[in-house]
Amino acid sequence: MESLTKDHIDYIIKDLSYRGIVAEGVQEELLDHICSVTETEMDKGSRFIDAYHLALRSFGHTAGLRQTQKQIIKAENTKPMDMLRNYFTIALRNLRKYRFYSFINIAGLSIGLGICLIIVLFVVNELSYDKHFANADRIYRVRSEITFGGSDSRMLYTPSPLAATLASDFPEVEATVHFRNRGSYLVKRTDENIKEPNTMWASKDFFKVFQVPLIAGNPATALAEPNSVAISKTLADKLFPGENAMGQTLILDNQITAKVNAIYQDLPAQTHFHFNLLISLEGDKESTENRWYSNNFQTYFLLRKDADPKKLESKLPQLIVDRAMPQLKEILGADFSMEKFKASGNKLEYYVQPLSDIHLLSNYTGEFEPNFDITYIYLFAAIAAFILIIACINFMNLSTARSANRAKEVGIRKVMGSFRSHLMRQFLTESVLLSILSMLLAMGIAYLLLPVFNDLSGRALTMPFKSGLFYTIIFLASLAVGVAAGFYPSFFLSAFKPVQVLKGHVALGMKSGMVRSALVVFQFTVSIFLVIGTMAVYRQLNYIQTKKLGFNKDQVLVVDDAYALGTNRVAYKNEVMNTGKMESATMSGYLPVEGGYRSDNPWWIEGRDPSMQENLVSIQNWRIDYDYIKTLGMKIKEGRDFSQEFPSDSSAVILNEAAIKTFNFPGEVIGSRIATFADAPGGGPDKNKLQVLTVIGVVENFHFQSLRENFSPVMMFISKGGGGPISFRFKSEDAQEVISIAEAKWKAMAPGQPFTYYFLDDRFNNMYAAEMRLGKVFGIFATLAILIACLGLFALTAFTAEQRTKEIGIRKVLGASISSIVLLLSKEFGKLILIAFVLAAPLAWFGIDWWLKDYSYRTEIGVGLYLLAGLAAFLVAWITMSFQSFRAAASNPVKSLRSE
Amino acid sequence: MHSPELLKGTLQTIILKVLKDHGRMYGYEITQRVKELSDSRLLLTEGALYPTLHKLEAEGLLKTETVLLGKRIRKYYTLTTEGKSLVRERVNELVDFIKTMSNVLQVKLA
Repeated sequence: MESLTKDHIDYIIKDLSYRGIVAEGVQEELLDHICSVTETEMDKGSRFIDAYHLALRSFGHTAGLRQTQKQIIKAENTKPMDMLRNYFTIALRNLRKYRFYSFINIAGLSIGLGICLIIVLFVVNELSYDKHFANADRIYRVRSEITFGGSDSRMLYTPSPLAATLASDFPEVEATVHFRNRGSYLVKRTDENIKEPNTMWASKDFFKVFQVPLIAGNPATALAEPNSVAISKTLADKLFPGENAMGQTLILDNQITAKVNAIYQDLPAQTHFHFNLLISLEGDKESTENRWYSNNFQTYFLLRKDADPKKLESKLPQLIVDRAMPQLKEILGADFSMEKFKASGNKLEYYVQPLSDIHLLSNYTGEFEPNFDITYIYLFAAIAAFILIIACINFMNLSTARSANRAKEVGIRKVMGSFRSHLMRQFLTESVLLSILSMLLAMGIAYLLLPVFNDLSGRALTMPFKSGLFYTIIFLASLAVGVAAGFYPSFFLSAFKPVQVLKGHVALGMKSGMVRSALVVFQFTVSIFLVIGTMAVYRQLNYIQTKKLGFNKDQVLVVDDAYALGTNRVAYKNEVMNTGKMESATMSGYLPVEGGYRSDNPWWIEGRDPSMQENLVSIQNWRIDYDYIKTLGMKIKEGRDFSQEFPSDSSAVILNEAAIKTFNFPGEVIGSRIATFADAPGGGPDKNKLQVLTVIGVVENFHFQSLRENFSPVMMFISKGGGGPISFRFKSEDAQEVISIAEAKWKAMAPGQPFTYYFLDDRFNNMYAAEMRLGKVFGIFATLAILIACLGLFALTAFTAEQRTKEIGIRKVLGASISSIVLLLSKEFGKLILIAFVLAAPLAWFGIDWWLKDYSYRTEIGVGLYLLAGLAAFLVAWITMSFQSFRAAASNPVKSLRSE
Repeated sequence: MHSPELLKGTLQTIILKVLKDHGRMYGYEITQRVKELSDSRLLLTEGALYPTLHKLEAEGLLKTETVLLGKRIRKYYTLTTEGKSLVRERVNELVDFIKTMSNVLQVKLA
């Protein structure tokens, strides 16, 4: 058998390489095959070259050879795990090789993901409210919309007979429960009282509607007897540590003796109420009164399976006509009719609200606890998404910007037989690996930040480290983020043509530059938007807190639950006054902050016809004492304050400016008289008896509700023996001293009763807790967005500087100064930030306008604020850039020009 | 000569069976053997043979060893234990298929 010479074999190897058969393993095997064929042919007498060409023909020449090579590579890749391992190794190597860029990417992405993680936990938590109740989808409550005498109320308070009527007259209702809130209660076994703010009076079917698991007791009878109570496990443990609370006796507010009839599991945090003490309404007079015009009860019901809540709702207007209208007729006069009632702009309507709507979609008067607003869920989710996008953009921009460096790699890989799909997979593996690493870090960041966030949001979120679902979602999210961030770069990078790339033409083109610039603009638009938003929220908060309120909220100590003093109330007040640390004191629950008492009643100018709707003025009735106006620092604008020297002041009234405007007195205000129906002995208005008050003074308008609302009419009159807290205006700068004085006297005069107090300004600020929270959250988001965007910018400038080292060197040799080079390098991105500002400003203007429209009193947001925010963003970005630019500009040109 | 289209589905079985009968073989040897067995009516194209060999190797049915022949490297294929146990099954499958085809096409096999 003929054997090929070494020269022949060398020839074949060269020829095969020339034809593109280069893959490792493939070349050798095909070489052997071709040699074998050639040898056989030569045996038959052919010349070498003819034999060789015959062998080639059997493959189908160059095209066939390459096709075979391709097929072999493909066939070998049937084991995806091997390939994946290869991708993985290369990806890891690349991450390590470009440490700086990997760090920037991972840092940005993990912060973004960490924030997203927290927001997702939060949103999931908010969406899970009240879902834990059995039959949660069948529980509803009734809310009312009432317009009467010029005042609107949208509330959850409904008449007491509504619950019973729903149960008896509506077959689709399975059970009903209604609640009556009578504030917090002092609870004791024998001596020591504790204050239980989460106290609620409830009718007997509470446990039928809300199937709260019981630890002891029978749900059917738990609240069935008068003076029976059901308590939560927490309260039971507090009152009866180590004992069985079941069947024990409690004393409520030092008066009511109650028996513990049931102990229930604590309600989960995700519930719209957290009652610890439920008092039975059984035998309660108010609860069974048939009064349809008095709204004091929250009414819930359990709908039967398959019943339609909309149908039930549509029957409610008829219920009003049948039940409420006859009673209103009796009060408002015989000529009352539904048509006339509506014609004068009044309304009385009931709606049905599902349990699932309560936490996010409900904000009415009479909520048990403040709910959350779904708008903020959307807002937070949107911002979290934007931050994540900003982080992903960093990845995209850095990858495409550095494409020149990797172009050679792509070229070589393609020449070595990689397909585009291989390269895309390679780049995607890199980005996925990066996002998985970031996600691990993000979990750590979220874990560390969660306490801060909980503090801010008032929630108790925890990382669900034990949940398998959590890890699955985390993993899938990492994949999704990795693919999202890596898709564009991989598409972009894998498209390089090997011939051009290896020749040195990196066709970066305008296209990639444009896309990159657009993405940078997007990042900074979002960042600047958030900065402007934050500044606007803080400016409005500052405006609220420094605005002239019409009263003086500072230096007022309020001692709560003064009724616990019993008959010692006045004595206590005098004792504290005698210490000389207080300027004045007032005993009234009608305080101009949230949580103060409110009472609304229609009045009219004496002599006018009360049956004419337009004569009625719905006005706040505040019962105060002689020192009230002085203590709270309100200003008398006209007339005089109440005084002990005028015995007639018991039938006098002081109005605020808004009330004067609404009443629109025909003559002199001071001395005018206003009237309303007197209270009948059995409750309800007595139509035959009038209560008349004479106006002796006018106070300047003062804010007593959130500044979202406008001033409403208020009238104040002297009332003796009104319960509620005692407020002291104190002189001392040392608040702690004042508290200890008030507490010491309390301990002496009310032993065993808990001393609770607050400062009026704190309570005032509480009204704006939501705004403060929003400001802080916005602030944090804005900072993070800027931080991540600047990380990207930092790396991008570093990269440009690196690319232009030679250019900079030459410029310096030719005499360019450092500053001109710094300017040159920062100019390009500076322009982008300017564009971002131009885009962000109008967006922010719309956003702020939308947010502020809820406020009757709002601060002016001038152009200055926008410019300031823009300037701040620009400065931060410029400092970031100039660090890199300066380093590049200051380097010695000899170094960069020496080597080629 | 038979059409390569007809050969497609049977290529793996042919390679496995030939390797079972002859033990260690290299690519060219296989083509020659098949050619011999079929009286030159069956020609394995290189473009089909090598990818199939590599695929079978990747699937773990074949193992390889290389022998240095001066400047050339010869790659020999042998069945793995897994491959050996599969040959009979594959051959039976093909025989079955041929029977079915003869029924479908209404022809009697010699």
